[in-house]
Amino acid sequence: MTIRFATSWLPLALAAASLPVFGQIDISGQWSGRIHHDQNERGLGPDLGDFTALPINDSARLRAQSYKASILTLPEWQCRPHPADYMAGRAGFNIRLTAELDPQTQEIKAWHHRVAWMGQERVIWMDGRAHPGPEAPHTWQGFSTGKWEGNMLTVTTTHLKMGFLRRNGVPRSPEAKLTEHFMRHGNFMTVASIVEDPVYLTEPLPRSVSYVLDVNQMMAPYPCETVVEVPRPEGEVPHFLPGANPFLAEWTTSHNLPAEASRGGAEQLYPEYKKKFKTAPARTSR
Amino acid sequence: MYDEARQRLGETIMIAAMIRMRFRHAVGLLGLWMSLPLQVHAQYPPAYPTGPAETGRKAAPFDITGYWVSVVTEDWRWRMFTPPKGDYTSVPLNAAGKAAADAWDPAKDEAAGEQCKSYAAPSLLRIPGRIHITWADDNTLKVETDAGQQTRLLHFGDWKSAGGAPTYLGESLAQWDETGALRAGRAILVAGKEVGGRSRGTMKVSTTRMRPGYLRKNGVPYSANATLTEYFDPTTEANGDQWLWITTIVDDRQYLNTPFITSVHFKKQADGTGWDPAPCSSR
Repeated sequence: MTIRFATSWLPLALAAASLPVFGQIDISGQWSGRIHHDQNERGLGPDLGDFTALPINDSARLRAQSYKASILTLPEWQCRPHPADYMAGRAGFNIRLTAELDPQTQEIKAWHHRVAWMGQERVIWMDGRAHPGPEAPHTWQGFSTGKWEGNMLTVTTTHLKMGFLRRNGVPRSPEAKLTEHFMRHGNFMTVASIVEDPVYLTEPLPRSVSYVLDVNQMMAPYPCETVVEVPRPEGEVPHFLPGANPFLAEWTTSHNLPAEASRGGAEQLYPEYKKKFKTAPARTSR
Repeated sequence: MYDEARQRLGETIMIAAMIRMRFRHAVGLLGLWMSLPLQVHAQYPPAYPTGPAETGRKAAPFDITGYWVSVVTEDWRWRMFTPPKGDYTSVPLNAAGKAAADAWDPAKDEAAGEQCKSYAAPSLLRIPGRIHITWADDNTLKVETDAGQQTRLLHFGDWKSAGGAPTYLGESLAQWDETGALRAGRAILVAGKEVGGRSRGTMKVSTTRMRPGYLRKNGVPYSANATLTEYFDPTTEANGDQWLWITTIVDDRQYLNTPFITSVHFKKQADGTGWDPAPCSSR
């Protein structure tokens, strides 16, 4: 290439090279989670027996009512990561998004979505590949593909390992599908998520998490080791048999809420539910 | 506007390049320029407008009008029931904010006729209910709520405040925020082929001049210095459901340690089924 030729093409080449190729917005970087709703549930953890605001069916309710929190002390459970749908819709942990580029075309082949807690990293494939068949392995982070809808990244995730909708035993089946929308607004980002679960939900479950761009954030390693916290006979799994959980009514009593509120269900999600109670319960505690 | 930007950019590059090259290279450059995918051109800042400004209604990249119902899957206990005094869980209040929240007295608000303090712009859309969005005119979007029977007006264009006393709903300026590259509503093209559906935009709403009120029904305060920024993002899911996600950022140096960031979601309804107007309530 002659110098003359190169210089004549240079302005155009530079102009084109500095632009995003697919018209998308750049969501890469370190994002710090903000937990400005449901802080207790998402931080310390939900109350036992609180199944409110979840459109669950009877099967989910039965499983949730058999949950015993000491199951978390089992070595097999101590280093369990949160599944992708819980990360997306609830956790609000700090995350890092990095783009994997094709070295030749500079197109984004995949996004790497790393979550600080338990050092989980999910790959979101952007190359148009199909999701695998139903017999493919199910994992904590599942199989994710993404596409741009203007400046919003929409991600579809399947092949999730059996997980939970709330950290008090409300289950989410491996048949579930997760849809996420990454919506960046300047230095803020909202990730909206919708979980559809034909086994345990009667309708889709929409939730969201908020992030703030943090250029000083670093993602540290997250080593996790298991220990025997509670000596138990081999094979013993903490649980309650149906009807035997003594803790289910604790939280409604302590918050002066109607007992039926703890059951959850789609009815609770809509404004009409508020009108079921002509007078809001007089609440005395948090 | 887009065509003007494209033309201006093209002319600049072409003139700069043609001065330095032979005719055959100039022809090649012209061909390359014409074949560039649409979005590459569109990402340059648009030229200054030369004609009348497009109205908010005409520029809308998506149809936000209609009836929407809130689906309460977050902060359920704080939204479905009035929390007790002193429960400001999740809100980044500073000491002054906590002191103000601890002084909440609903009877006093009722006596003063201030039952709508918790139906103010920063909190209104977190109240379970339905909203009805319509165009009041070509540059004013009207958002009505059945809960509290409030009406917010979101002004596009060069709307100017008439002054007067601040109100609980404040004064809202709206714009279609086309953050990123594309003009909202245009096709996303790669090598001339449309991919990934149409581009989308966000409606950004900035609200100021708000009378001090509550972020939550139990007296969690915001001050007269607070500003509110909202982003309205629509999505359409594979099953046909249409959602409106509203990100809300309250900035209040008087009562908050950090901006208070939440989001709520509404599901599109085919009609006004369930619309149930109810007056403001302090309890």
